[in-house]
Amino acid sequence: MAPLLKVRDLSVSFVTDTHKINAVRDVNFDIAPGEKLGFVGESGSGKTTTALALMGLVPNPGRVTNGVAKMGDLDLLGLSRDEIKAERLRTISYIPQGAMNSLNPVQKVRDSVLDGMEDHGVRMGRGERRAVVSELMEKAGLPRDASARYPHELSGGMKQRACIAVAIALKPRLLIADEPTSALDVITQRRVMQTLDRVQGELGSGLILIGHDMGLMAQFVDRLVVMREGRIVEVGSTRQVFKSPRAAYTRELITSVPAMPVRRPALQVCAGDRPGHVEDDDTLLSLENASKTYQRGIFKKDVVALKPVSLRFSRSNPKIIAMVGQSGSGKSACGNLMLGFQKPTTGRIMFGGRDVATMKRREKTDFRRQVQAVFQDPYASFNPFYTIDHAFTVPLRRFGVAANRAEAYDIMAHSLQRVGLEPGATFGSHAHQLSGGQRQRIMVARAVALRPKLIVADEPVSMVDASLRATILENIRQLRDDFGISVFYITHDLATAYRSSDGVIVLRRGRVVEAGLPDEVICDPKHPYTVQLVESIPSPDPDQAWARVREPQEARSGEDADTFSQAVIRSRIPGFSIRSGTAA
Amino acid sequence: MDLSRIIKRLVLTAFVFFGAATLNFFLPRFSGGDPIAERLAQLGDSGGTMSADALSAMIASYNERFGLDLPIWEQYLNYLWDMMRLDFGYSIAYFPTRVWTLIGQALPWTIGLMITTTLIAFLAGSFLGAFAVWRKNAMTGTLMPLMMVFAAVPFYLVGLLLIFFLGYQLRWFPTGGGFSPLVLPSWELDFAFNVLYHACLPAASIVLSSIGIWALAMRGMMVTVAGQDYMTFARARGLSDRRMFFSYGIRNAILPQVTTLGLALGQVVTGAILVEIVFSYPGLGNLLLQAVRGADYFTVYGIVMILVLTICFVTLVLDLIYPLLDPRVRQGAP
Amino acid sequence: MTKGHASTGKPIPASPKSEDHIIVLGTTPAHERQFMDRLLSYCRRNPAFPIGLALLCFLVTFAGFGRLLWPVELAQPLSATPYLPPNAQNPFGTDTQGRDVLAVTIAGTWLTMRTGIIAAALGTVLGSALGFASGYFGGWVDNVVNWIVDVLLTVPAILILVVIAASIQGQLSSLSMAFIISLLAWRRPTRQVRSQVLVMRNMGYVDTARLSGMSGFEIIVRELVPNLLPYLVAVFVLAVSASILAAVGLQAMGLGPQNEPTLGMTVYWMMYYSAFLQGLWWWIVPPVFVIILLFVGFYMLSSGLDEFANPRLRQDIR
Repeated sequence: MAPLLKVRDLSVSFVTDTHKINAVRDVNFDIAPGEKLGFVGESGSGKTTTALALMGLVPNPGRVTNGVAKMGDLDLLGLSRDEIKAERLRTISYIPQGAMNSLNPVQKVRDSVLDGMEDHGVRMGRGERRAVVSELMEKAGLPRDASARYPHELSGGMKQRACIAVAIALKPRLLIADEPTSALDVITQRRVMQTLDRVQGELGSGLILIGHDMGLMAQFVDRLVVMREGRIVEVGSTRQVFKSPRAAYTRELITSVPAMPVRRPALQVCAGDRPGHVEDDDTLLSLENASKTYQRGIFKKDVVALKPVSLRFSRSNPKIIAMVGQSGSGKSACGNLMLGFQKPTTGRIMFGGRDVATMKRREKTDFRRQVQAVFQDPYASFNPFYTIDHAFTVPLRRFGVAANRAEAYDIMAHSLQRVGLEPGATFGSHAHQLSGGQRQRIMVARAVALRPKLIVADEPVSMVDASLRATILENIRQLRDDFGISVFYITHDLATAYRSSDGVIVLRRGRVVEAGLPDEVICDPKHPYTVQLVESIPSPDPDQAWARVREPQEARSGEDADTFSQAVIRSRIPGFSIRSGTAA
Repeated sequence: MDLSRIIKRLVLTAFVFFGAATLNFFLPRFSGGDPIAERLAQLGDSGGTMSADALSAMIASYNERFGLDLPIWEQYLNYLWDMMRLDFGYSIAYFPTRVWTLIGQALPWTIGLMITTTLIAFLAGSFLGAFAVWRKNAMTGTLMPLMMVFAAVPFYLVGLLLIFFLGYQLRWFPTGGGFSPLVLPSWELDFAFNVLYHACLPAASIVLSSIGIWALAMRGMMVTVAGQDYMTFARARGLSDRRMFFSYGIRNAILPQVTTLGLALGQVVTGAILVEIVFSYPGLGNLLLQAVRGADYFTVYGIVMILVLTICFVTLVLDLIYPLLDPRVRQGAP
Repeated sequence: MTKGHASTGKPIPASPKSEDHIIVLGTTPAHERQFMDRLLSYCRRNPAFPIGLALLCFLVTFAGFGRLLWPVELAQPLSATPYLPPNAQNPFGTDTQGRDVLAVTIAGTWLTMRTGIIAAALGTVLGSALGFASGYFGGWVDNVVNWIVDVLLTVPAILILVVIAASIQGQLSSLSMAFIISLLAWRRPTRQVRSQVLVMRNMGYVDTARLSGMSGFEIIVRELVPNLLPYLVAVFVLAVSASILAAVGLQAMGLGPQNEPTLGMTVYWMMYYSAFLQGLWWWIVPPVFVIILLFVGFYMLSSGLDEFANPRLRQDIR
């Protein structure tokens, strides 16, 4: 079959006063009708610029310096400004990341669909318009009345579907989807990608998917283009690229994605010596029916961040407990309660037999020393005004861990070595002079230096380069083994939670839905939500296919129906106890 | 309709009104003696232009309500009650004219001048600012810095310059007043032209210096809007330039601009008042100047109250209009 | 709430750049340049900042050195023959009351700037304190402060000041005017600082400081203030400009020191004696010119500073 689009020697450069950036260099590829082609690479690799060049949308000061892009007899790169404008939407259509702000906020969805058609010379009567709009809504999996709504009245997934509806209005021959689902949660992501798949099949058009998620690529595209620094480093069928990557860089990309464990029935695990019960006098920190509700002004509804939950960490039996949930599930609220940063709306946070909210000054200081944290963004964790020493010397002196400055520096040097950093090279530097991985390890070292009993680690590796993630998680695990520190590991990532924890809690909309040993919760989930979550994660193995789900209309999807409320607490986690909901 | 916004505004208005009245009442009484009583006594001593009868009538009416024989809270409550009925009492300088009569004569001039000039400046400025972002060329390139200069200078200084160059040196326009001294006010066309002719310079000075404020603000908004995802998507759909400029660009950028209008209202009123003073325009500004010069406290307070209420009222109107422009606040926050 | 993305999409590891991907033309790359270079390149892109600074420096020099080189006592009435056009003795001529216009301009610039700086300094200090407290601690402190600022911002300062100034008209000096203006000069600084603190208090390093056992007050002083210093300078500059605007406006209505030659009072006398109709252009031009320079200078300086010092806009220039 003749290719739909043939791109040869495409080069794009950005020239500023001080730099010349060759963003795309000699790129060649073909795409056949009905084919799904993936473009993958880090940001700045030129994958988006390549797509923009095809639509004549390279932003200033960029220029297409060379190349042809033949679509039949049409050379897309040789068209004038008005000519290429006429081809957009009609021939090549762009699907943006719609969850954010891609639709005009003051227009109804219907008008966003129609204005593009109108500007491409489609004249329709009133009835015709209505028919066209409702057909497009149907195709994109939206309820019919969604066309009369404004973008802010739609959920993220619905907005993405609306963008699809807008983009396919003129039945384009080529669709370009630019990270369409990177702001959606995994469950919605799977549904939207299935819709996109069906729509593309119906149109018979080619599709270019731009992204950075190797798992999504493995599950979705037919062929994969790997780009780096403006060049194509590897092209091949998805299976071939994943099974036998030729370029070292491709291998690096593939290994950086933590693979999910294979689903299997949970082994009958022999739970530890004192299963799931923590004695009162052995309790380190506990949440007792603690919940958090945010008030939002007089006339607005309050937001429930965390529904009542009871947890207990053992003092004598330190464990790493992972709390897993999508953003907005209340997991960070839970962490903030533990740190005493916020007061619970109901219930209590107890530390050493005392309520954290009513502690006296001395007790509070002790609590602060014993309960430390590692935050998501290692750059923001350091005050840019000071050197990183400030983050050590202040607490070391204040908590009386070090008697004087010299001793503080001793402890600091020792802890930096523990996490594999060279103290001499780290002292006196500002956070911006260090790499992200170094900064996060310094935060871990800081926590170590204070010898706490519990560390709340809130997404500690989500902003760190993939290659360093394992190291940092290993550092954290050593805290438990070497110093007897318990860790509360907050994450959205089931794979790392599986690897590094002794117990997993799944949170959804502020409610605990499932808890148990990692093998139970992740390899053999019982709660329907956990099942859905585990199934939706795209595996970087093309053989381990995404299970197809029925494609429901977004508005009445399971995501919105709050049908399962009963938490499934699996076998007990040693050194930790949990109870969801208020005590009966 | 976002009710909480409106309720908040109403409560705020009540607070502002109450605060202003309280300030007006207590300030003279706590600034070392009662300057109003002193002023009345002073008029009595010097005789002034006021007849002895008028003066004693004035003092009597003042004492009846605010005399020292009443306890201060009763005086205060009386005062609040008067303010709520918008009863500002008698003018000290023009007794027995009531303050309301003076304000009533001046108000139409001020409102006419302020509303027309603000609307012109807001619309023209917003359009210019949007256009400067849309079409970067030599015209907008030189216009914007010039506007920046005008935006920085208070209205009345621009007025002074206009009077000097166009009024005094070139003698194209009258240097002050609302109409020619020899013309009698009437509903004739001639008189209307005379009024318009006199309004040219004051209006020009307000428009000239405030157009820049709106243009600069709109330019900032347009730059922000141009970077939004919906603009990228619109471009990727090949929408027409007209639609991109009006339905996507201006339509979205004007929303914060309306909010800014509400916030800048005080500035506009202040500016307009000083412009009236510079041009001896027969509006509230000039009346305020006369009242300050003549230590006519009741008139000063009356004008201040009226201006404060006007600002609150216009802000309320803007609050009511805004949801019509922005669907996101129409239903209130989700 | 953390800003974690909902998907499991991972950022791909950054890798060392090959040489021909990004080619540096001529000068050193941005990240190696020092602060001064950055400032210079910023000025080149945004000339408002240096122009504004230059204008204000010129005025400060004019007022400061002018006082030393020219007898400012001549700014009092009856120190020269009235109605003189510019001549050898009085380079800018004299006004209707026999003041030397050059002396008036020098003394007026000095007095007006002093009024603005005193009022703005008081307003900025008080406003920053309130802004930090209300932004950081939140709760009812924030509600009360925010409400008062809301109420006061609804009414233009000059209307409140007219009432105050009118009531104590007789005793006004340029110094007491500064204090009166400072009564309202804290509103905007409060608002501005508060909005910055609202963002800053969610920064990770504030949480780190809390974990280090610092109290709220300590966090404000040791962690937040140092980072906000450049912004506070910008707030101050804006406050000076606003205070001068209020002072000149009040004085132009006659609500000012009757026997001090401030710029605003000069405008008032100018209108009082109908300088236009008498054609005394030499009386009008210098003070009005200086006021315009003053406002344009402040406007440009603060619009330049704002972009440079506002933490939220700063990313662009780094």
